Amino acid sequence: MLAPKMDTSTDPQVGFRPPGSLDAATALQPYAGRFGPRHAAHLLRRAGFGGSQDDVARVAALGMTGAVDSLLHPTAPDADFPPFPDVAVLYDPKKNRAAAQLWWLDRMLRTNRPLVEKMTLFWHGHFATSVQKVQPAPMVGQINLFRQFALGRFPALLSAVTRDPAMLIWLDNRANAKAHPNENYAREVMELFALGLGNYTEDDVKEAARAFTGWTVDKNQQAAFVPARHDDGTKTVLGRTGSFNADDAIAIIVSQPVHQRFIARKLLEFFVYSDPEPELIEAAAQVYAVSGFDVARTVGTILRSNVFYSPRAYRAIPKSPIEFAVGTLRYIGAQSVPQNLPYQLARMGQEPLNPPSVKGWDGGPAWINTSTLLARFNFVNGLVAQTAPGKDGRPAVSAPNVAPDDLVRRAGMDASQIAAAIVAGVVQDDVTSDVRATLVAYLNSQNPSAAVQNPLPFGPENYQDKIRGALALTLNLPVNQLD
Amino acid sequence: MKRTHFVSSALSVAFLGGTGANALAQVAASAAPLPGFASGVDPDNVLVVVQMGGGNDGLNTVVPWSDDAYHRVRPAIRVAENQVLRLDDRIGFNPALKGLNELYKQGRVALVQGVGYPSPNRSHFEATQIWETASPDRPQQYGWLGRYLDKRFSGGAKPASMFEAVSLGDSLPAALVASHVEVPAIGALNAFAYNTGRDLASKQSAGVLYDGAKAGQSPYLAMIAQTARDAYHGGDVLRKQTAQFTNKATYAPNGFAQQLALAAKLIGSTAGSKIVFVSIGSFDTHAGQRAQQDRLLGYLGDGLLAFYQDLAAHGLDKKVLTMTFSEFGRRVAQNASNGTDHGTAMPLFIVGGGVKGGIYGEHPSLTDLDHGDLKFATDFRAVYATVIEKWLGRNPGDVLGATYPTLAFV
Repeated sequence: MLAPKMDTSTDPQVGFRPPGSLDAATALQPYAGRFGPRHAAHLLRRAGFGGSQDDVARVAALGMTGAVDSLLHPTAPDADFPPFPDVAVLYDPKKNRAAAQLWWLDRMLRTNRPLVEKMTLFWHGHFATSVQKVQPAPMVGQINLFRQFALGRFPALLSAVTRDPAMLIWLDNRANAKAHPNENYAREVMELFALGLGNYTEDDVKEAARAFTGWTVDKNQQAAFVPARHDDGTKTVLGRTGSFNADDAIAIIVSQPVHQRFIARKLLEFFVYSDPEPELIEAAAQVYAVSGFDVARTVGTILRSNVFYSPRAYRAIPKSPIEFAVGTLRYIGAQSVPQNLPYQLARMGQEPLNPPSVKGWDGGPAWINTSTLLARFNFVNGLVAQTAPGKDGRPAVSAPNVAPDDLVRRAGMDASQIAAAIVAGVVQDDVTSDVRATLVAYLNSQNPSAAVQNPLPFGPENYQDKIRGALALTLNLPVNQLD
Repeated sequence: MKRTHFVSSALSVAFLGGTGANALAQVAASAAPLPGFASGVDPDNVLVVVQMGGGNDGLNTVVPWSDDAYHRVRPAIRVAENQVLRLDDRIGFNPALKGLNELYKQGRVALVQGVGYPSPNRSHFEATQIWETASPDRPQQYGWLGRYLDKRFSGGAKPASMFEAVSLGDSLPAALVASHVEVPAIGALNAFAYNTGRDLASKQSAGVLYDGAKAGQSPYLAMIAQTARDAYHGGDVLRKQTAQFTNKATYAPNGFAQQLALAAKLIGSTAGSKIVFVSIGSFDTHAGQRAQQDRLLGYLGDGLLAFYQDLAAHGLDKKVLTMTFSEFGRRVAQNASNGTDHGTAMPLFIVGGGVKGGIYGEHPSLTDLDHGDLKFATDFRAVYATVIEKWLGRNPGDVLGATYPTLAFV
């Protein structure tokens, strides 16, 4: 049995794979243990982009089932997001890339349907399409498509992606015609989108490509089916023979048993941990198959499961740059995204709408290197400790939750109480005692702080800067780089 | 003519280089794995790769000045015969390349003509991926230099310096994406730092936190803590190391020359960089080509001249080999905007004191074309194979996944 032990220790061994093997029979059964702030924060990080201390408390109060339901089936209306960036910038080649990126990042920050947006990001990584080849306008259309199908049935999503103008451009299916077949899209459907390498032959790719012929992009950048370009002859795809069209090919591909494991593995890697055991993949594949390829039901089962709340999964995944940056902004209660966030994310290694290749981002430990970590740290220092204020000298974004006055009101003008409140809020106490001591020493240090040339230790003259500094140090802790 | 012919003609380039038997032996040797370094290759050899982003027009870089066809198809953007820096009775450099010409006259420049690959791609992004991952057919996860580094440091071996391989820029090019060797991207010396503004106490505390970080039994936490320590201290280490090195040449104030000045510091100081990636844009000259390309070629040639003067003053010019590349060349004929559109094969330059200067391969024909585009003569992977085997002393097959003939420029 997977004993939930995460609330008992103030010196936790996070991301630690406990001895013993996974109990595959109960791994995906509903978790019935305690659901406290640590569990709620864990759920919000994985199934969203984290949140403020208030968000965590609110989710914790719902209980596990209520919390997962609220993410899977949000009922409250969302903020009024524009379906597209302003047309004035969407077609301005100097501005449209950043405009599209900021349009999406703003939604990640402010949506009250974080799981839908998280799945939108998941599909962006899965069907990795890039502004390097596709204009920002169709890229935005593709992101809207991912959001629409975020938690739907996978075959419907794949069918829609096949007709998506951005994808038709990205993988050249717009050039795929009976007279001159182009295999690019068919190959990636099998290798990257639905089956994985080694589960099909070169002939399967060639034959499926024929089924995808005819779909192209018209002069208005809309998807169009041109019957004259479609090859309606007989094809043999993965052992089945017929005069297949695109949706027939998709149906054959997703009916392969290996497809269930392929999607199960990707979802487990994204939500649970990076090296799911074969038995766990098999169990999740069963859930996915029985649900009729329903992503919401599969993800819901995972988010309610014993294994999800087990020490095996706790802080076991390196945060992606987008998770880290948007999570930081959500934590401090930012109401808007810094205008240079796309650039900062590029330096952290994950510029939205610009994955490095058709394979998407490597993720996991590959997120972490000296350059990308420095980019994370300096992003936090600039934003939270305000080492890099906006042009007018004021903060680049307002951060109502940093509120040093509120913190002092609650915790008192006491460095150790303040440090305790900060580590509870940011990392749910997942720190060792020497981290607390270092934060207290920082608060009490006699060095002048950023804005106040005042050698005094923590006190009424400089508590604001000191609290911002301690918050930045905590956000930059190694443990806060883990989801 | 079939493309296979051009691949095999690249092979003959190696044999024409005056070391026929040698080249043959090396082609044969490259089939067998080389344990560690090949004999005769200095393990301190340094490779600098220069990306000429945007697709550099080869015909106005190395000008076929005696070919009437050239002057005919480029009436408004041709380089006039009397301006060309002549290399022989057929070709010469664009006059903006006077710095490179200086190095050429010293015998330090190998010009490899007509470099490309079968079924060339004309998308900037895709063609760049192809060059940087050395994979025309399928996208690859790791770059050609990344794969070289992974082989060089396999089995848990660690580079002596965390700056063994660096990219001078804000992000990592696909060429340097490696599976288990870390490659820092350094935009500028001062930007590579944990920055807390005036809050020195915060900076000190971060150091205490990272130095004392306990990872428990979490492998990821251990890795992140170690990387955080490297990141936190790395900038200071780098500034201290590079401060020992004084540039002994005058670099122009443009971004490319400044990257080379930093490259010299990284190579010549105890930072000890062995692979350095630098870049110069914007060669995508669809309109008004002459002014723009000539300016950039001037930066390129003058920058490389200063770089090698600097390296020579430090006794390092024979240790550093510089190789240029661009994702594609451009169309043969000019377009209606006095520019050129995306094309195919182009020349590239190999520069250094250890290079056998001269001209490798034939200038592509301007009349025997493939849909209006130049035909390539040397596969770019043969150039990579030559650098990997003869300069870096590794088995190119391990990195490139296939065997290519090597050229004689090293």
